[in-house]
Amino acid sequence: MRLTIRDTKDQVGNYIGDYIAKRINSFTPTPAHPNIVLGLPTGSSPLPVYKRLVELYKDGKVSFKDVITFNMDEYVGIPRDHSESYHTFMFSNFFSLIDIDPKNTHILNGNAEDLYKECEGYEAAIKAVGGIDLFLGGIGADGHIAFNEPGSSLTSRTRIKTLAYETILDNCRFFNNDLSLVPRMALTVGVQTVMDAKEVVLVVTGQNKSLALSQMIEGGVNHMVTASALQTHPWALVVCDEDATLELRVKTVKYFKSIEKVQDEVEAKYGPVASVRLGLSRATAA
Amino acid sequence: MTDVVRFTNGYLALPDGTAAKADLYISPSTGLIISGQSSFYSTTSLPARTIDLRGNLLCPGLIDVQINGAFGIDFSELDLTAPGDEGERKYVEGLEHVAKRLAEFGTTSFVPTIITQKEELYAKLLRLLRPRSPPDSAHILGYHAEGPFLHPLRRGAHSSTLLMTASSNPPINTFDKVYGKEGLDQEGVKIITLAPDVEGVMGCVEELVQRGVTVSIGHSDATLEQAEEAMKRGARMITHLFNAMPPIHHRDPGVIGLLGAPDHRPYYGIIADGYHSHPNTVRIAYKACKEGCVLVSDAQTIMDPSLPDGVHPWRDGIKFRKEGLKVLVDGTNTLAGSAAPLAPQVHNLSKFANIPIPEALLGATLRPAQLLGGEIARRKGQLTEGYDADLCVMDWQGKVLSTWVGGKEVWKDQSFVE
Repeated sequence: MRLTIRDTKDQVGNYIGDYIAKRINSFTPTPAHPNIVLGLPTGSSPLPVYKRLVELYKDGKVSFKDVITFNMDEYVGIPRDHSESYHTFMFSNFFSLIDIDPKNTHILNGNAEDLYKECEGYEAAIKAVGGIDLFLGGIGADGHIAFNEPGSSLTSRTRIKTLAYETILDNCRFFNNDLSLVPRMALTVGVQTVMDAKEVVLVVTGQNKSLALSQMIEGGVNHMVTASALQTHPWALVVCDEDATLELRVKTVKYFKSIEKVQDEVEAKYGPVASVRLGLSRATAA
Repeated sequence: MTDVVRFTNGYLALPDGTAAKADLYISPSTGLIISGQSSFYSTTSLPARTIDLRGNLLCPGLIDVQINGAFGIDFSELDLTAPGDEGERKYVEGLEHVAKRLAEFGTTSFVPTIITQKEELYAKLLRLLRPRSPPDSAHILGYHAEGPFLHPLRRGAHSSTLLMTASSNPPINTFDKVYGKEGLDQEGVKIITLAPDVEGVMGCVEELVQRGVTVSIGHSDATLEQAEEAMKRGARMITHLFNAMPPIHHRDPGVIGLLGAPDHRPYYGIIADGYHSHPNTVRIAYKACKEGCVLVSDAQTIMDPSLPDGVHPWRDGIKFRKEGLKVLVDGTNTLAGSAAPLAPQVHNLSKFANIPIPEALLGATLRPAQLLGGEIARRKGQLTEGYDADLCVMDWQGKVLSTWVGGKEVWKDQSFVE
């Protein structure tokens, strides 16, 4: 795992936005895998990332015409057009602002007649396009990834989840502060679905995520902090702001900062391809 | 593939009088404003056409509830001497000509207004003024009959010999006789401007309202108490506030006094051309009762903003002189009639009352729709999903750049390149 630290959350957004755009632009289609496939999150952490990607699109530096997306999760039982649905989030913050083909976007349908079938179909659809190339994610204050709340199996796949009480309380502010209106269930990709992606990028910003960040990086792999599963992923990148590092040990922060420096030096000497050849961009340095 | 049109990169004039940077989606096939999000996820196709508003304002199409004519056409003139139905054919042709040209000025719906007529003309005229939507033109919503139950002291330009009272028993019989039962009960918008202080008229207000008529107080010498009584019985509006009614007196405010009512205030039509009411007067009215302010053109045959300034022939050897939106009888300082479409009036109201353009727009969009109520209020006057895609693109100086009716672009200024 690699950890990249930036000063502010906007800088984090810019870094990841540029990173994803680079991946899209350097993608080489093959007959078996003709489109780059992204996994996408919702929430406040990834907003600066979407903002950056929209800017890049408007400047003509990236196009989403051939990009396929799969979202991580969606609530069960609220209308698709509800202001808090993840369909609405994705449309207003990203899809309506870029040139993506609606046919290439996938979001779990929380109103499906048969929710089990919906989840199985989702896994099949991911497989059908050749798997996810880059899964962007955030983490919850309790270290969850997607709606894989503490205690979720680290080999889980797309399924129905009951939301943790903490998450329900946290969401209350989006539903008129009325606990009874907050959805209690969601459909979510599993930890294993994320782990199957070729590359995983996590955006972690804010002081309230600092404990979760230290647990997922400095603690062991643990189902109470589902994001910690990424420790075993061959190509995982965490980008955080200074606020999110507050609970990390100084040693940890310094170590990861030094890795970035080494990579910069290698790239300066051998060019950007060099780090690929050396396996550095695959984050094996850590 | 859908035919969805998306407006982007501009501001939407919202029903709360603000503007927001957002996209609007319409479906030309249904003629309605739709949810872009639903369309995105349900049809899984991109909009067929995207219009770059370039920072301009996208607003609901303007609604004019009082317009007597324009572009040389007078809605009160029906030639009965012509052979066969030639007169009616010409009348409809003129009506549709105005409907087409009004779209150039952002007006997408209007209510043709007829001044006091010979009794026998009403039945014929009202029948011709049933709702219709000619192609690529503003909608004709119905009729506005100004008169003949008006007060002689406040008749303005209406012919004194044609004014009437409702002295029959019951008085409503006179209304049925004048407008015709069919005319009173026909579909669409029916506005009647009447003076509740004329004999028998007050007693008819309730029944008229029940039969779907929007009752407006005008050309009236009523006291405040009489006007309040008419409101209680269902009147909703005052016709061209300040004109053809007693000026406000601090001890006896008359019809205008309704604006100061503690509750249940009326809508009022006002001509914000800067000439028919002084800008300060407009501001006083607006600040006293903004929730009732409805802009009306009260336009006459001479309204044609595309005419160059100067002297033009009018009728019977009289000429009129046009100076911008002001039109005078040539050689005098007498106003020849109103000649300002709604769009420049929106800009005027914004200046006179010192309010933002999106707020001034409500006087020509949301409020006239709510005044008319019913189907119109449910379909027109706001940029809301499910409402008619009658739209107008306006720059921030009030100049109309493009007009859409029923989801179709019916007019575009040459300067407006998407």
